[in-house]
Amino acid sequence: MRRFYLVGFLLLMGFDTLAQVSFKYAGTRALPMTADMAWLLRVFGAPWIYGAIAGYVGAFFTWMCLLKHAPIGPAFAASHLEVVSVMLLSVWLFGEQLTLPRVLGALAIVAGIVCLGLAEGREQAPDAGAGPTPAG
Amino acid sequence: MPAAGSITPLVAGLWLLNVVLDTGGQLAFKAAAGDEDAGDGLARWKHMAARPWLWLGIGCYVVEFLVWIAFLSLIPLSEGVLLGSINIVAIMVAGRFLFGEQLTRLRVAGILLVTLGVAIVGAGG
Repeated sequence: MRRFYLVGFLLLMGFDTLAQVSFKYAGTRALPMTADMAWLLRVFGAPWIYGAIAGYVGAFFTWMCLLKHAPIGPAFAASHLEVVSVMLLSVWLFGEQLTLPRVLGALAIVAGIVCLGLAEGREQAPDAGAGPTPAG
Repeated sequence: MPAAGSITPLVAGLWLLNVVLDTGGQLAFKAAAGDEDAGDGLARWKHMAARPWLWLGIGCYVVEFLVWIAFLSLIPLSEGVLLGSINIVAIMVAGRFLFGEQLTRLRVAGILLVTLGVAIVGAGG
């Protein structure tokens, strides 16, 4: 069962990564960015946009399938950790730089996602301090 | 937060629009799915289709899709996906205010860390 989760999480990350990389290609190929029909035609006239749609559809079904079986916490984290794979790929594909702010920012974001994933995982457990408070 | 590097006013505007549309879409779907009068099966879908929430959610997502492409075409992808992480925070905070969802200590820590990360990327590129 562990292997099922691992493959599922990797698949989810893969689909999300495919979507983001395709979005970038679709946007770059459609430049200059203008709020008109010509821009839309450039976006939908190139194949990349369909890669992005395929990535989204794939991620959606993988997510639904994972949620049936996998614990919500790790699933939540896996569904957002594509920031790491996308960052690494963008160095290779687009020649982008891993600047210090990006690396530090990514570390904080990943730590935050892990916290949120842990929080989701504990949601089912009884919580002493539960319930809305006026101060939030 | 000073706009630095590749973050022009247009990029910042698209980023904000993306957050608003993503959060609006999620909350609209939540409102559609959480309607207790909706019933089950096909009746549930008919009930949802006859009310604005489902369509509002779909509309938000369609526009967001285009806004995200425009946003990413103007800044490096690695920076874009990191800045986009703020959507996670926006949805949780909105869920807290609109649906009374609880924010445990761990969630608050997660929200603060993600926000800090986005702020670092936004300020430094």
